[in-house]
Amino acid sequence: MAGFQDIRRRIRSVKNTQQVTKAMKMISAVKLRKSQERLVSLRPYASKMMEVVQRVVGRIQGDSEIQPGPAAQAFLSPREEKRIRLVVVASDKGLCGGFNANVLKAASAFVAERGAEIVHLDVVGKRAAEWAKKHGLNPAGEYLGIAMPGFQRVVTEICQGANAQYHADEIDALYVIYNYFNSAVAQTPTVFRVFPMELDPRNASREATEVSHLLEPDPNSVLETLLPRFVETELLRNLLESSASEHGARMAAMDKASNNAGEMIAKLTLTMNKLRQASITNQIIEIVSGANA
Amino acid sequence: MSQTIKLEVVTPERPVFSSDVAEVQFPTASRGYYGILPGHTPLMSEVGDGLLYYIQDGQKHWLTVFGGFAEVGPDRVTILARESETVDMIDLERAEASKQRALQLLKEAQTEHDMAAAQAKLDASLIRLQAAGHPGGHGF
Repeated sequence: MAGFQDIRRRIRSVKNTQQVTKAMKMISAVKLRKSQERLVSLRPYASKMMEVVQRVVGRIQGDSEIQPGPAAQAFLSPREEKRIRLVVVASDKGLCGGFNANVLKAASAFVAERGAEIVHLDVVGKRAAEWAKKHGLNPAGEYLGIAMPGFQRVVTEICQGANAQYHADEIDALYVIYNYFNSAVAQTPTVFRVFPMELDPRNASREATEVSHLLEPDPNSVLETLLPRFVETELLRNLLESSASEHGARMAAMDKASNNAGEMIAKLTLTMNKLRQASITNQIIEIVSGANA
Repeated sequence: MSQTIKLEVVTPERPVFSSDVAEVQFPTASRGYYGILPGHTPLMSEVGDGLLYYIQDGQKHWLTVFGGFAEVGPDRVTILARESETVDMIDLERAEASKQRALQLLKEAQTEHDMAAAQAKLDASLIRLQAAGHPGGHGF
């Protein structure tokens, strides 16, 4: 029976695949936990930082006595966005469901909307680099094979570069496109403008009655250290969000794959048993009819 | 006017402290210490390396802070520290060992850069030891 042997071979191969997907799922679960821990501990800092910067910047904007220095300008007076630096964050490896497809779709839409010629691109992850190549974009910065300990270096490099470019009038804004980590099974592709900052109007109005902040030692030196720190924190958070999302997405994809493999094995086993029974029945009939004759 | 201040200390590593306190004092990089009582005028300042204390239930408590920013409002103090620890988090033995190592490095330092790095290390360990040595801290 050739069919019988074939099915057995297929079951064995599906079982092997299932073992691989199960192992990948477990590895992703461990990596997810690590990324998530780091992300969850950074988030309160990042959101506090955001709050403080919003408040201070909102107050300064309403205060004609303070003359903001060059670093503060980036936040206070948005220029027309003629040149944009865009950081696209995807993963190095695939097998993680719609993780890369979603974020790259958002990136494609963004580039199409703004025009490829004004976008100065940085890509994080091999998938993003491949995407850029396919669309004929020439990334200025490629960050491939970066694991969590390397994030800080990427962040520092991009921030310093973007800062210098902003002051040299080469770019007018810095955007990041990444997967926001909602939960282990849900990620949202997000387009985030790091600077100029999008001020939350509530902050300006809520505290409008309060007296302006004293800035010590003086407004510009505070802003000039606070704002770059803010940009770095946000960028680091975005990378961590993406990393946690990636492992979450891969874990979910591999879990689904393992389940599908299980279903397939069950189906194949059923077919195999049916075939075997059919062949036994056939043989019995043959023997019985032979004895009768 | 509320009689307490909400003190929050967060670092990129973890939220360190969050509670209502009666008084806070934190070190700045260049202007000594700021003592904050409820109803303080809004203020934004850099934070230096050193000891922060707050008073809660009539008791003084200490935290270490290493660089960052402080934002003060009438009823809140938010410290965005580069690093910060409560007294319980300080490992006394490690701080002592780090102090000895820094002293050693300071002796061996060849360049100004090495010297500055060793000095910074020494300062950090001294701050930790001092925090742990305060009444209310462990070890003394």
